[in-house]
Amino acid sequence: MATPDLRDELKAPVEPLLPIEKKLIGWSFGIGIALLVLLVLLNRIIPLT
Amino acid sequence: MLAVAIGLGVFALALVSLFGADALGWVATTSVWTNPTTALTTASKAYAGLGGLGALVLTYVALTAVLSAATYALGDDVRKFAIRFTVAFAIAYGAWFLGSWAYLAAVTPADQAKFGVSWSLKLTNEGGYIVALVAGLVIANVFPAFAEWLKSAIRPELYIKVAIVILGAFIAVTMAGKLTLASSLMLRGLAAIVEAYLIYWPVVYLIARKGFGFSREWSAPLASGVSICGVAAAIATGGAIRARPQVPVLVSSLVVIFAVVEVLILPVIAQTFMSHEPLVAAAWMGLAVKTDGAAVAAGGITQSLIQAKAAAEGINYQPGWMLSVTATVKVFIDVFIGVWAFILAYIWTNHVNPRPGAPKAKLAEIWERFPKFILGFVATFLIALALALGTDAGTSGKLATAIGEANVWRVIFFVLTFFSIGVLSDFRRLWQDGLGKLAAVYVVSLFGFVVWVGFVIS
Repeated sequence: MATPDLRDELKAPVEPLLPIEKKLIGWSFGIGIALLVLLVLLNRIIPLT
Repeated sequence: MLAVAIGLGVFALALVSLFGADALGWVATTSVWTNPTTALTTASKAYAGLGGLGALVLTYVALTAVLSAATYALGDDVRKFAIRFTVAFAIAYGAWFLGSWAYLAAVTPADQAKFGVSWSLKLTNEGGYIVALVAGLVIANVFPAFAEWLKSAIRPELYIKVAIVILGAFIAVTMAGKLTLASSLMLRGLAAIVEAYLIYWPVVYLIARKGFGFSREWSAPLASGVSICGVAAAIATGGAIRARPQVPVLVSSLVVIFAVVEVLILPVIAQTFMSHEPLVAAAWMGLAVKTDGAAVAAGGITQSLIQAKAAAEGINYQPGWMLSVTATVKVFIDVFIGVWAFILAYIWTNHVNPRPGAPKAKLAEIWERFPKFILGFVATFLIALALALGTDAGTSGKLATAIGEANVWRVIFFVLTFFSIGVLSDFRRLWQDGLGKLAAVYVVSLFGFVVWVGFVIS
């Protein structure tokens, strides 16, 4: 199995972020923050002690 | 599935003692010592006639036989494995034995007086994990040819998975006496899933793509490696996005190296700043330290360091709880690797890189990428919990003793894991193959926010 040479690959032009990547990042982060807030509220009721 | 079979085998043998026969009591265990000839003993007094050394030899023979059978099942060279495993076991157990030396392990002034030592590093006897890790690191970085020779016996993923399957029963017996711990753990496990997949992953991916200009092929496995669960997640993601096989392998080598750095640093930070919040510190280890082995290793070290500090202050935390929290948080995170890989596979094969005629993501991939050892963990947990809660006091007392004996095997697999992680951590790799920039993403992401966000939320 040949090891890719990262130094060469890093010289390649940067791939722009596709709209689907932006959606993936945005939706993941947004849902994550919302769920965390929910869990923090739950933790007020059942604290980890 | 081999790890599940071995772990369930140990668990089943432990349960035999509920029917009167002690099938595991002969396993060797080490207590804190100043006179090495008195340190080794059998887990059960019923086998005391074997003597400590006899028990150790029997433990080694049984372990070698079982792991050689596993090696045969994998189609590898059994003789080669057995020879190298013998050396690895000798060093790893030797490190564990050294870690129980009173000058390293004695914690309280009363312990020091009992053992007649005027000072101690106060690591508890679980400091042996650190000695095993350091022994492995020395071999990897000072004697690389020896490390290479040992490789076929160095299987941290197998060892830690066996240990986690056994740990399931230990956690159940621990929780049976304190069910509020279970509900709190559920909540903490859910939070860990959200943080790893939905907070860390998109941020690390964005940093790799926009901040460092990595391609999608490199960024996705890297984001999974830093955010989720190290090696397993990087490889699952690499497969999901149809990356070249070498990409997740290179990312995995980074993950292993940085996991060791975390194991050496984070428990000390936890001991310094979180010694009065032991379960929170333990949850932090499960969330912040990547790879199952290193995370549980960090949980073990954190437990020994915090227990030592607390004991010196006259506080005795329940043994095993911190380790249970770390392992549970890690298992919760692992459960969703397959689901996340499927989501990425769907997006990549349909939107990012659709190729006419190329196979699309299939739901079956969720099961294919599901870490099967979790089934073993859940099985031992549920069976032990049902027995602990559903039987009379006499039987549940026997169960606690039986799981205690199984736990000695868990400790041995932990020691092998620590040693193996050390042997695989050749820090010179960071300067090879142009990994520096990849490592920079890792450092920025891991120590820039993954560790600290985990700290705050834990």
